[in-house]
Amino acid sequence: MTNGTEKSAAAGASAPAASRARTEFARLVSYIVFGLGSVYLSVRAGELPTSRWEPLGAGSFPQLVFGVLAVLCLISAVRTVLDIRKLGQLDGLGEALCVWLRTRRISFALFGCLVIYLGVLPYAGFSLATFVFLLIAQLMIAGISKKTVIQSLIAALVFSVGLNLLFAEVFNVFLPRGVLFAS
Amino acid sequence: MLDAFLAGAHQVFAFDTLIYMLIGSIAGIVAAAIPGFTVTMAIILTLPLTFAMDPLQGVSVMLSVYVGGYTGGLISAALLGIPGTPSSVATTFDAFPMARGGEPGRALSLGVWASFFGTVISTVILIVAAPPLALIAVKLGPWEYFSLIVFALTIVASLVGNSLMRGLIAGVIGLGLATVGPDPMMGRPRLTFDSAILMPGLPFLIVLIGIFAISQLMGEVEDDGKSENKGALIPDVIEFKTWSVMREVLMHPVNLVRSSLIGVFIGALPGAGGSIANLLAYDQAKRSSKTPEEFGKGTADGVIASEAGNSATAGGGLIPMIALGIPGSAVDAILMAALMVHGISVGPRLIMDHPDLAYGMFVAMVVASLMMLVVCVLSMRLFLRVTDIPKQFIVPTVMICCVIGAFALNNRVSDLYLLGAIGLVGYGLKSLDYPLAPLVLGVILGPIAETNLRRALMSDGDWTVFFTRPISAVLLVAALLSVIFSVRSVLKMRKKDRPATDEQDGD
Repeated sequence: MTNGTEKSAAAGASAPAASRARTEFARLVSYIVFGLGSVYLSVRAGELPTSRWEPLGAGSFPQLVFGVLAVLCLISAVRTVLDIRKLGQLDGLGEALCVWLRTRRISFALFGCLVIYLGVLPYAGFSLATFVFLLIAQLMIAGISKKTVIQSLIAALVFSVGLNLLFAEVFNVFLPRGVLFAS
Repeated sequence: MLDAFLAGAHQVFAFDTLIYMLIGSIAGIVAAAIPGFTVTMAIILTLPLTFAMDPLQGVSVMLSVYVGGYTGGLISAALLGIPGTPSSVATTFDAFPMARGGEPGRALSLGVWASFFGTVISTVILIVAAPPLALIAVKLGPWEYFSLIVFALTIVASLVGNSLMRGLIAGVIGLGLATVGPDPMMGRPRLTFDSAILMPGLPFLIVLIGIFAISQLMGEVEDDGKSENKGALIPDVIEFKTWSVMREVLMHPVNLVRSSLIGVFIGALPGAGGSIANLLAYDQAKRSSKTPEEFGKGTADGVIASEAGNSATAGGGLIPMIALGIPGSAVDAILMAALMVHGISVGPRLIMDHPDLAYGMFVAMVVASLMMLVVCVLSMRLFLRVTDIPKQFIVPTVMICCVIGAFALNNRVSDLYLLGAIGLVGYGLKSLDYPLAPLVLGVILGPIAETNLRRALMSDGDWTVFFTRPISAVLLVAALLSVIFSVRSVLKMRKKDRPATDEQDGD
């Protein structure tokens, strides 16, 4: 019994450590991406021609900023590697990534809808594109049932046509009319 | 000064401005009452609506959303135990137990009155402090300005979020994003990779909407497997006892003034806002109380401290914005951007070049706090129902409002593509616990920092001047000290917490 309790206590203590190690690993990836990106941008900024009128040219400030960013990322990456080594339980990365993605599946689906919506907006016009986006997004979040379909249809109609009218008539802000409706 | 004050008041008291402000006040309260939706997001959504207005009218409406928003977070904090905004975290400590103890009306009224007095006290300090500070600020040279921005960014990085390093990285990423597009002195294109989308640079407001709003909305629909808190039901009958509670708040003058002063001070520090002020004010109230054991069980002092503290940051944040042109928080940065959209450059010369606008903003702050009070007292019961609106309606609709805001800024479809890309980056950063406020402030402060650095070196190519000019040296030393103290406190915490460190220890 005691042995079992100790085991479960040890497992309980190791679970947060493993979770923390995985989070630190994800951050390490971000430091590496930002670090490499900043080195590249710093080099690109350094290629900009210098000015004859001032000691600092157009490229100096970006070079300085991305140089500092690279140094900060390097320090953070080194510290994170040390932390991960101390925690020492970097297992189940693939599984953790799957859980992470599963938790955020609606977020990414919503973002996918947003990207398609933004792509279609100039062609389909604000009212039509917004109506379809709102309808799909609302049903995606709430689930499909007779009640949610009716609610979503009404809300989509009100906010697509209503917002377009509000901005055009009250605030004189004209949203894209779309190729289909432009005449 | 009196002429400017009267001219500003004349514009604010125009009938249409007052109506718009009233709508703004209601919108701010409603938006912040929804758990998960911050004051910043409410202001972002208001922004496109103000494009067609006069500068002062637009800013007055945004201020009323701002002031209303700081109070709106109180509603869900007190009744549901969920802070509507990060600024009302400490409010839950005592307002929720008080509401659960059978006094929900008293908890709400205490919060509303404390917010009102907090805003008024902060506005008085704003009126007194901003003009003389601006007079000093116009005498600062480019060296001092550059050092001030370095100081502001280090303070932001050390105060916001769980990690100094990630805060600094976020701030420097912001500075880096600001370098994309034409260089601010000569207009030479930089880091655009010949892309037509990047050629005009990354508009600050697009970055702000993408980073804050899109990432927040994506986070709202995450499914973490936890069931929502359905246990805390809003009672049907709530007695607000408005006037007796007002007297009760005034019977705690020391707590009220101390918490408001903390709010003003925290608000004036770049990057630090209501989310820190409410906790700090609460902590100080508890430390100075004769009955600290009552805190957390539903004491009036706890509610007053938290709400006066967070509301007072509204006036405090405007001090560096109006006097120095350095926004105190993301919300102030949006206000600053709104003025820039109207062609008004914000900085120490604002009070001299547009005194009616600056003094009008002071008047608008007072009017906004009065409106918030009236709206809350008369219709608090209605706002309680806002928390019942399902996410399925709110999240996509607010997303559409963000798209409209991004498009209406320049009427450019390419801005929408930027919005999507930046939103995804913001969501990634948020998931990895990078603080987003330093990034946004980095974007707005980047061009100012670069222009001043280049101007400074144009007039004297010697870098040591930054350390030999006294004010510049003091600011750089302060920046260094803020980093050292932050690192020191984290190291202390690490030593104390090990081996049971958690996510909070950061760097």
